[in-house]
Amino acid sequence: MEKQKKWFANSYLLLVFAILYAPIIFLAIYSFNSGGSMVGFEEFTFEWYQELFTDTRLFIILLNTLVVALLSATIATIVGIAGALAIHTIENTKYKSMLLTLNNILIVSPDVIIGASFLILFTVMGISLGFFSVLLSHIAFSIPIVVIMILPKLKEMSPSLIDAAQDLGASRWQVISRVILPYITSGIFAGFFTALTFSLDDFAVTFFVTGNGFNTLAVEVYSLARQGISLKINALSTIIFMITLILVLGYYFLSTRKKPVMIGGDE
Amino acid sequence: MSNTIIRFENVTKVFDDHIVLDNVSFEIERGKFYTLLGPSGCGKTTILRLIAGFVEPTQGNIYIDENCVNKIPANLRPVNTVFQDYALFPHLNVFENVAFGLRIKKVSAHEVKERVANALKFVNLEGFENREITEMSGGQRQRVAIARAIVNQPQLVLLDEPLSALDLKLRTEMQYELRELQQRLGITFVFVTHDQEEALAMSDEIFVLNKGTIQQSGTPTDIYDEPINRFVADFIGESNIVEGTMLADNLVSFANRTFDCVDMGFNQNEPVEVIIRPEDLEMTSAETGKIPVKVDSQLFRGVHYEICCYDDFKNEWLVHSTKKVEVGSTIGLDFDPEAIHIMRLGETEAEFDKRLEAYED
Repeated sequence: MEKQKKWFANSYLLLVFAILYAPIIFLAIYSFNSGGSMVGFEEFTFEWYQELFTDTRLFIILLNTLVVALLSATIATIVGIAGALAIHTIENTKYKSMLLTLNNILIVSPDVIIGASFLILFTVMGISLGFFSVLLSHIAFSIPIVVIMILPKLKEMSPSLIDAAQDLGASRWQVISRVILPYITSGIFAGFFTALTFSLDDFAVTFFVTGNGFNTLAVEVYSLARQGISLKINALSTIIFMITLILVLGYYFLSTRKKPVMIGGDE
Repeated sequence: MSNTIIRFENVTKVFDDHIVLDNVSFEIERGKFYTLLGPSGCGKTTILRLIAGFVEPTQGNIYIDENCVNKIPANLRPVNTVFQDYALFPHLNVFENVAFGLRIKKVSAHEVKERVANALKFVNLEGFENREITEMSGGQRQRVAIARAIVNQPQLVLLDEPLSALDLKLRTEMQYELRELQQRLGITFVFVTHDQEEALAMSDEIFVLNKGTIQQSGTPTDIYDEPINRFVADFIGESNIVEGTMLADNLVSFANRTFDCVDMGFNQNEPVEVIIRPEDLEMTSAETGKIPVKVDSQLFRGVHYEICCYDDFKNEWLVHSTKKVEVGSTIGLDFDPEAIHIMRLGETEAEFDKRLEAYED
């Protein structure tokens, strides 16, 4: 009975994942189809990948995407650390929860709204649409994510650690650089990588604020798909999927390798 | 160099309209072991945090070496603290934890190595340099925290209930070690605790605090034998406190009887509180004892029995005795005149000291 239940649970789980991953796997398989369409698989080929790698335009777009993602994630992480530290040190609980709520609203609000509002803001301010506007908006929607990833680590830290550092002669900046930052490192990495992936796969916000020929991969794939079916898109999507998979696995191994550290208690 | 290292001058500390310390003045001398003793919320930790510089006084002045330090931040004070939860840095190993203060002061690598090794030797942790904090037991973490404080050669070490997280046996061991360490180093220790036994065992001087004021200060024996009021008498050990009247010098009346005592300097027929410690009471037969009492309950405490009795006037008498009695029987209590300690109602510490001096001469 117990065994049967487990068997049922496992096969149900397998089915759900199979359905979720089927389109991606389907897409990936057809990226090797020499037939040129998604209708029937004819022969195995690397043709679409070759075409993809000779396409310098696409290569530039890929570079754009990576540059925007790395820059925005880095800047958002720096701003987010400062923000999290500021929110953490606020003693007035009412003010603190208000700031936190404002932060969380930005995370849950739809990308379309954020994109549209950035478009309006940039046009009003006279900022030309392109690399800079995309970067700015990516930084903006990444900051709340970084803040929310770092705050729990700060909350977990005993306030006496800060007292101890000061007591041992550390200035305010030394307290931050030698005690707080090392303590919240895992939160900082989590925030950075989440911001990175959010930026890499963002479509809606970028779609609104991009212009002047500047494109990121998500927007490019969308416009390619509109132009008509080419298996080049399949090849590109497969590569992006593989990179994402590697990133996620890498993060998983990094975060599980370190054991959680407790301080103050007896074992 | 003056002998006073810390001086509080009418210090008041208010947190959110709540007075934590109320006009406190005291001095701390070089090279002694001080204990701030009191129940939780009495302000003892606030005094420590004021000395360390984590909080500023609302009113009054704090002097270290006769320099007013009200506005000096914690990182510039010649004081180091051992925290209740040890506050060891989890991302650093034992060596780097101890070396933290020296690294901040940019001491040369060679000297850091030497001083850390010395400090660890002092707390019996040689060879533990490369251990992670998570690999250390509670008692070992305690020692690392102490080493981290003393390696900076501070003039004053503050200890905030550092033994409270340890089990009883280890705690007793650490009491000896701390006391010995303080004497070897010869620097001033200010120790905060709510455990009266700890305070009595380790200190040169004890400050007993309650509700933001210092109730009494003195050596452990002074405070134990001559408590100034009901609070101190109750807090430091068990005591029997009954209402009485001072008939004349060396003559007191309580429990409807008159007794010889050794206290003087009271007004005639002044109402007082009389204290007799449970270990000073001897049990005899009802006929020969000074006060006849009825045994209400008896508790085995290991070293002694704790016997709770009531006299005819509903006064409770606790007796510590190695002898057993029968619950419900009537016995007599006997005691020496020296065992009686008389407390004047509402007497301040200054008045108390003055009166003691007056009749000691």
